[in-house]
Amino acid sequence: MDEASVKALVEAILVTSRGPVAVEAIVEAVSDPEITVEKVEQVLGGLKATWDEEQRGIRIEQVAGGWRCVTPPQLDPYLRSFHGIASRQRLSQAALEVLAIVAHHQPVTLPEVNFIRGANSAGVIRTLLDRQLLRLSGRKKVVGRPFYYRTSREFLIHFGLDSPEDLPDPEELVRDDAAAAAE
Amino acid sequence: MVDGTPAELSDAALPVVLPVFEGPLDLLLHLIRKNQLSIYDIPIAQICDQYHGYLRAMQELDLEIAGEFLWMAAWLLQLKSKMLLPQPEEGEEDPRSELVERLLEYRRVKELASILYDSHVVRRCLWEPALGTHLGGEELELDWEDVDLRRLALTYLQVMERHAAAHPSPLTVLPLRFRVEDAMQHLYARVCESGLMPLLRHIHTRPDPEEVVVLVVATLELVRLGGVCAEQERQFAEIYLRPGRTRLDLESILRHGVEHG
Repeated sequence: MDEASVKALVEAILVTSRGPVAVEAIVEAVSDPEITVEKVEQVLGGLKATWDEEQRGIRIEQVAGGWRCVTPPQLDPYLRSFHGIASRQRLSQAALEVLAIVAHHQPVTLPEVNFIRGANSAGVIRTLLDRQLLRLSGRKKVVGRPFYYRTSREFLIHFGLDSPEDLPDPEELVRDDAAAAAE
Repeated sequence: MVDGTPAELSDAALPVVLPVFEGPLDLLLHLIRKNQLSIYDIPIAQICDQYHGYLRAMQELDLEIAGEFLWMAAWLLQLKSKMLLPQPEEGEEDPRSELVERLLEYRRVKELASILYDSHVVRRCLWEPALGTHLGGEELELDWEDVDLRRLALTYLQVMERHAAAHPSPLTVLPLRFRVEDAMQHLYARVCESGLMPLLRHIHTRPDPEEVVVLVVATLELVRLGGVCAEQERQFAEIYLRPGRTRLDLESILRHGVEHG
C-alpha cells in the first residue's frame, strides 16, 4: 500500500471510529509488512500537524493509548448552540478530589479515600461510577472485603491523558512550598 | 491551591456566607492559609479556637454538621491540651505530626484536583464525531478495559428486568400439603373407633393453620354426609363428634372427596 493510501485509510478509520484507536489496530487492518507501527505513527503525526495548521474543524489527538478525532475547544459554544445543548458537564470539587486520589493511589478502597479526604465519599464514588470515570477492580482481601477502584479509560479520555502515569506527580507540585517552609 | 473553585469564589464575593468545605481537612487548610501559617508549625491553640468558631457559626445557621467535623474538633482539643503540657523531651514525636501528614497528603490531593479541573474545563468542550448506527447495525462492541464488575452487574439486572417484563409470573401454585379426603378418612376412623372424639382438643394439637382449616372442612363434610354428628353444649365449649346415622365406607368418602374437591 502506498503512503497516500495509508494516509487516506488512517483518516477514514479515525473518522468512522468511536473512541481512541490503537496504532496496532490500524497496522493490523492494513496488513502490509511494509506498513509498521512506526510508519503509521509517522502518518498520524503528519496528519495531526496538517490539520492543526489548517485550523480544521476536526483535529486528531493522542489519548488513552490511541488516537481519535475531536473538534477544537473554541468551537464548543457554536456547536452547543447549533445542537441546542445548554447544559455543560459539571464535576464537583468533591468529585475532582476523589478522582485525584484514585488516580494517584489506585487501586484504592472507599475507606482509604475517606481517610485521605477526611470526609465520606461514598455518594461521590457512586456518581463517578455511573459516569464511568471510575471502575471497579476486584476487592481488597481485608475484613469487609471493600471494592477496589481504578480510573477508567473514559477518565483518560476526559482528562486528555495517554495513560494514568501521565498525571503530574503531586509531590513535585508542592515541593517548592515545602522547601520554602523549611527555610 | 484551588483558587477559582465555587467555594473560594463565594468566600471572596459574599463574606457573610460561610464558605463550604469538603471536610475538616479542607477547613483546616483554609484557616492555615488565611492566617498565613506554616503547615509544619501549626499554632494549635489558635487554629483550634478558630475551628470551633467556624463550627459555632455553622450551628447558628442551623447547618447540619457532618460527623467528621466533630471528630476533628475533638482531635484538635486533644492536641491543644497536649501542647499545653511541658515541651516534649528531645527525640519524642511532636503530637502534631500525624495531623501535619494528613494535611500535606490532602493538600497534594487538592493540587491534583485543581490540575484535573483545569483540564476538565477545556476538554469538556471537545466533541467527538457522532456516528450513526449504520455501522453494520450491530450493537457497539465494548472494550474489555471498559467492562468492570459493576457494569456486568448492571447489565445482569437489566437483562433480568427485561426477562421479568417479557415473562410475567403466572399464578403461583403451591403443592397441596393437606387433603380434605385424607382428613375425612382419618377423622371418621377415629370417631368410629372411639365412639366419641373431642374435635377442639384435637385441633389444638395441630400447629399448622392450613391443617386446621382442612380438619374443619373435613368435619363439616362428614356431618353433611351424615357419617358423623357433632354436639356442642354451649358456645365455645368442646365439640364432640360421634358416629352418625349413616355408615360410610371409605370408598364413598373418597368418591365424594374427588367429586366435591
